[in-house]
Amino acid sequence: MSHTPKIVLFQCQYCLASSADQEWVENSLPENVKLVKVPCSGRISPLFIMNAFQKGADGVLVSGCMPEKCHYITSNLGARRQLDEFKKFLVFLGLEPARFEFLWMNIDERGVIQNELDAFTSNVKQLGPNKKFNTMKDEIIGQYHG
Amino acid sequence: MDDFSQVRKEAARILSEKIVDMVIGFKQGTIPLKSQPMFITSQEDTDKLILDGFCQNNLAVFLHDQPKDKRIGIICRACESRAVRALVIEHQVNRENLYLIGVPCMGILDWKKIQDAADGPVTNAQESGDQILLEIGDKKQVLIRNEFIVDSCRGCGHREPIDVDIQIGEISPIEMNADNLPQTWGESFKSKSADERFQLFTEETERCIRCYACREACPMCYCTECFVDHIAPRWSESMVTPGGTQAWHIIRAFHQTGRCVECGACERACPMDIKMVYLTDKLNDDMKKEYGFEVGENEEKQPPFATITLDDKNRFKY
Ligand code: SF4
Ligand code: SF4
Ligand code: SF4
Repeated sequence: MSHTPKIVLFQCQYCLASSADQEWVENSLPENVKLVKVPCSGRISPLFIMNAFQKGADGVLVSGCMPEKCHYITSNLGARRQLDEFKKFLVFLGLEPARFEFLWMNIDERGVIQNELDAFTSNVKQLGPNKKFNTMKDEIIGQYHG
Repeated sequence: MDDFSQVRKEAARILSEKIVDMVIGFKQGTIPLKSQPMFITSQEDTDKLILDGFCQNNLAVFLHDQPKDKRIGIICRACESRAVRALVIEHQVNRENLYLIGVPCMGILDWKKIQDAADGPVTNAQESGDQILLEIGDKKQVLIRNEFIVDSCRGCGHREPIDVDIQIGEISPIEMNADNLPQTWGESFKSKSADERFQLFTEETERCIRCYACREACPMCYCTECFVDHIAPRWSESMVTPGGTQAWHIIRAFHQTGRCVECGACERACPMDIKMVYLTDKLNDDMKKEYGFEVGENEEKQPPFATITLDDKNRFKY
């Protein structure tokens, strides 16, 4: 039985210049991809990534603007300092590196997100389900919230 | 250290001359193998000050509870002095209100390991040179000190207290003779495969009872509200569940990236004997490799995660 990986896409609201791409992300993402749109990749805390894996994501893709193209000037780089290290840390604890990747979108490009997401998904698919960090996959979101 | 009377004298002097209102140090504990933190406000009590391998805490942690404008003297081993500097850089303490008395450290001893190695319940323990002299009721037992030094003190690369107001006593090298000692947990962890590492990490964290002694013991965990205590929204599972303990250990350690002073107080405080220093060590090692940053080495440089700069533009590929 082939496994369809669950993917969480964190996307900076500014990183897709083409409205066609943005529309595709918002309306036509494959069913196995959940979108979390953020005002800037700088808004993404390592805890968000942790939560995604714990709730059963098989892969997490972070999409933000190229260096020097950030709407908030340097916040994408600030995020990368943390998220890059967070990836190294999870890998140190046993995560397969291909489950957590970054995309730097160039605003001159069109149709890149579709291909990148495809490639990422097929890499994650090869790894099979995330069995290490899915420790809260059975929790219903909101249920345990005090 | 051989002659601790100078430290007591200095503590008495700064109290009597009203240079400080309080001195933080250690005194003999009420049970063997455990020295106790002590907060001295009157000169007479300075006689009780001691320093030995059974002083488990990082005294800088107690600065969190004190008003910033209170003048405090603190007996500083290297780790305490580094913690003070890290707290100064993060604007948590006023350096000018502190008086640091630098003292040498010979490495902290693992009291649980000593008790395990003893032939019965230890009733008295003294250090003497490279030996630990135990009394177990009427019986006596001698242990080799080196074999009981905690992992975080083995191979310590910064034994010199920094930025102290006065240094008392000389730093002498610890003869570790590490060849005879088994690998530290951190060393053996690194040599394992990804699946084995995950297994080991999980076996450790699964025992966690979420008492937060590790956080309370840590000089760099000073948040008014820790992420695990936040109710709405709940940032992470707060219960003793596999997901909860996994997230706690990963995120707590991650918050220490480029901030942890490598004192090992967290690990020593843990009632469940959970290894955790290898996590913060890994993160600090990466900060050194990637950003050339070492905690406490510089008076101004902010930790890498507090620095956001366009200079990073070529650092990261995709
Ligand atoms: S995380 Fe542990 S080793 Fe690091 S500063 Fe805190 S108590 Fe010390
Ligand atoms: S674990 Fe993180 S949030 Fe909690 S006190 Fe420590 S640094 Fe603060
Ligand atoms: S001290 Fe140990 S048992 Fe307590 S919260 Fe920390 S790791 Fe868990």
